[in-house]
Parts: sequence; structure tokens; C-alpha cells
Amino acid sequence: MEEFIKSFADKVRASLENLPSKEIAKALNILQAVYERDGRIYVFGNGGSLAIATHWVSDFNKTVFSHHLDKPARRFQAIRLPTTEAELTAWANDVGFDMVFVGPLKNYLQDSDVVVGISSSGNSPNVVKAVEFAKEHKVPVIGLSGFDGGKLNDLADAKILVPTPKDEYELVEVVHTAIFHLMTVYFKDYFDHLVEREAAQK
Amino acid sequence: MIVVRAPMRISFVGGGTDLPDFYRRSPGRVISTAIDKFVYVVINRTPLLDQVSARYSVSETVPHAKDLKHTRIKAALLDLGIEKGIEIASFATLPSKTGLGSSSSFSVALMKGLHAYLGRKLDKGETAEAASRLEIELVGEPIGKQDQYAASFGGLNVIQFNSDESVDVDPVLMDYKLRLALENHLLVFFTGVTRAASSVLTEQKSNIDKKFDTLREMADTVEEFRDRLLRGDFKGLGEVLHKAWLKKKTLASNVSNPVIDELYETGISHGAWGGKILGAGSGGCIMFLVPPEKHAEIRKTIQAVAKKHNLTDFREIPIKFVQSGAEVLFNGDHFHRLSM
Repeated sequence: MEEFIKSFADKVRASLENLPSKEIAKALNILQAVYERDGRIYVFGNGGSLAIATHWVSDFNKTVFSHHLDKPARRFQAIRLPTTEAELTAWANDVGFDMVFVGPLKNYLQDSDVVVGISSSGNSPNVVKAVEFAKEHKVPVIGLSGFDGGKLNDLADAKILVPTPKDEYELVEVVHTAIFHLMTVYFKDYFDHLVEREAAQK
Repeated sequence: MIVVRAPMRISFVGGGTDLPDFYRRSPGRVISTAIDKFVYVVINRTPLLDQVSARYSVSETVPHAKDLKHTRIKAALLDLGIEKGIEIASFATLPSKTGLGSSSSFSVALMKGLHAYLGRKLDKGETAEAASRLEIELVGEPIGKQDQYAASFGGLNVIQFNSDESVDVDPVLMDYKLRLALENHLLVFFTGVTRAASSVLTEQKSNIDKKFDTLREMADTVEEFRDRLLRGDFKGLGEVLHKAWLKKKTLASNVSNPVIDELYETGISHGAWGGKILGAGSGGCIMFLVPPEKHAEIRKTIQAVAKKHNLTDFREIPIKFVQSGAEVLFNGDHFHRLSM
């Protein structure tokens, strides 16, 4: 048992030690820019990736600003797609599963927005389809992928690839979660710092 | 209606190497950042009016795009085949000709907006290219293309100009601590003197052969600036700026003048590590790299010098960096396509 646990932990550790830091930095810049122009962030993925998207949206919209929620400051507007199960099943049942993200995205997407696609294989057809739509509209794309990155990594502007052997979903998802938490903590620290600087200047 | 904005910029080193006579022989390179001062362009469709309106520091209404006085709006409209039925207005946080690249920010926002008006979306590279083509080829201004790329991409970048006209934009990836620390080390003052960049660049352009080696050294300095920046070596950055400013002054007789020299010396003798004139020179803004504890002293002494020279519009311009590039903030033109 010890050995099994250690071997999993070793794999996670090795992946964490090789985070694609330059691409993560690019993603942080993209998020900074969308905040400055008051645009929206649309996040999506399948299964575990959708759960990660949902978790991150709540952190990014609230936890980032948790030290000064009373301030009327502008916040992030991160939105998980689709926003309801009703919409998810309507697209999947009536039109096709490849439409569940691009369908809602077509309703919402504006030039000032950003898209975050999550797919361990990088080849989920519904994720790729939504990302292709965003690219057509010249909207910046942050792509979180695993394995060999697949099409998502080719298309993304910020190519956050966690390279792993094929089918190691758990490993990819653990590291994706860590990266999303990193983004949350980064902006939480940043806004804390801005508030402190503002107070010091008064 | 379509609303587009593009940021102004401050350039640190490498200015002048973005002129074709230089980068066609040796790669040009600059390092610059977008700042929280913006040019806004508003475009409105007026299909029932057989006229074109352009509203900037003056207001023009003419029957056809070819009758416009505003050289860039006219050239852009004619090039895109938009003859009438359109209103274009511009707004900005700061006046033009202050050395913060606002005239190219305008062109970038204009091209992004006019393409949106035609139902086309341009990415950052295409937008910068369209604005450069407008200013340099269609209007024939003797300028480079660093400002078009700075305004279109946003953020702090090393921008390289290659002999085949391609341009590489390499973002300098700093965390917020480093970014805010750099902001806290900068002081920027508007000298109160405005000038068109072309007035300086025309002479500078004719000197490129003579000054080729100096320009190549300036392009090389960009790497040093980036390395020191990433190490947080602000004193070193100031020294790089200072050396580059001394070189820039030799590029044309009117980059500096006795008043600018005195303002610059005032900053240096009161604690600035380096600085430069922002933009082509001869006026515009003066920037210093200064340890934060020296800001108050420089503000006081430099205001006195400005007063002595009757620079009534001299004032400090607080600067923050932005990641934003050229952006369509609002596009209500969809409605037009739905209803027609």
C-alpha cells in the first residue's frame, strides 16, 4: 500500500515540478487584460474537467476578492458553460453532444471576452468546437490539456499542457486543479496588494 | 455603433530601430509597455445620410470620404471602400503629440473599428499591420511601427522588426510584484511642449546611414534592459536608460534642446538613476527611473525649473501599466445586420 501511495505522489510531484510556467504567465496576462476591459471568462470541459471549471468559477468570482467583499470594486465575471443542466441536456439531446459548449457560447460571446477550455486529451470534440468558434472571433483562448495536448493545445493562445502518458486522467486533473488554484491565489494576492498600496498612498 | 479603444505606451529603449532603413539591414528591437491612458474611436453607421463626418479636434462633415481633411481617416475609408454613411469620432485621456504614441493608438483603434464595421475581426498582429500600413504606406508618414504594435498587443513586450517586414512580439512575463515595483520607480512629466514625431523623425531618418552603429547598439541594449528588469535591478535599468538617452540625443539635432537638457539634469542631480524623453523627442513627456523615496524631491525641483521656463502646461502624469491592447469594447452594429 505504502508503495502505491508513494508512486502516485511521485507522479504528481514530477508533474508539479514541470509546470509550464511561461504559458501559465501568459494566461495570467490574458486574465489581467479581460479584467481591465470588463470582459467575461467562459470556462468549460467534460466530466472531471467540468467539475474543475465549476469549482474555479466560484473561487475566481468570490475567493479572489474575499478580503474586501464589502468594497464596491469591479470583480471577475467567470461563467461556467453551460450555466444550467437544462441547457446542457437540451443541446445534447436535441442537437448533439458536440454542441453543449459552442451552443451557449454563440449566444454569449463578445469581442471583449476570454475562453478557457479544459480537456485532458485535448481532443474532446465539444471543447475543440467551442475553442474553434472563439478563435474565429479572435477571442483569446486559454487551453488546459494533458497527454500530448491534442488539438486544444494547438489552438490555444496560452498553451497550458500537462504532459502525461495517455489515459492518465487523474494525474492531469490533479495538476489542472493546482494550476487553477494558483491563478486564484495570484489574483487574490494582487488585489490585496493593490488595496494595501492604495491605503498607503492616502 | 462600435466603440474601440487602444492604449498609449511608454517606450524604454530601442526607439528609431523600427524605421525601415534600419531594420531592413539589421533587426530592429524595442522594449515598451502599454499604459492606462487610452484613445477611443467611435464609429456610427448612418445609412440614410449621404455624407461622412469625422469629429476630432475639429468637426468635419463632407459629401464623400475623399473630401475629408483628416489624412488617416480619409486614407483608411478610401482604402476600405467606405465612401459615405459613416460618422467617426475620437476621444482620448490625454492630448495628442505628448510622446506617448497616441497618434498610432488612434490608427490602431480606427483600423480595428473599421474592420469590425465591415463585419471582420482582426487579431492583434493583423490590427498592428493594418495601422502600420495606413500610416506609413497610405499616408506616407516618416515613422516606424513600434507604436502600432505596442498599442495593438498591450502589456510589456520586446518587439522585434525583421527585414522581411515580419514583427515578433515577445511578452516580458513579470508577476504583479515586479510590475508594480517598476511602476513605483517611474516618474513621468508632460513638458508642456507638443510636437509631431515626424518633425524629429524626418531628420533622424536621413541620418540612419551615419548613425547605423549607434542604432545597432540601441537595439542590442533591449536585451540588457529585459535581463535587468527580470532581475528587479532598477538602478541598473536607470543606468541603461541614461546611456541610451545620451545615444538617442545624437540621432538628430532636435531630439533634445537646452530646456529638455535642464529638466533632465534636474532629475538626475536629485536622485534619478536615468531617464529619457518619451517619443521621438523635442518635447512631449520626460520620464525618470527614480527610487521611490526621491520622488517628492524631484517633483518639487523640476516644477520650479518648468516654471522658470514658462512651461505652463508642465505637469506630472501618473502612469500604470496595462495588459489591454486594442479592444472592441462595444459593438452594437449587429443590430444593423439583423434589421437590414
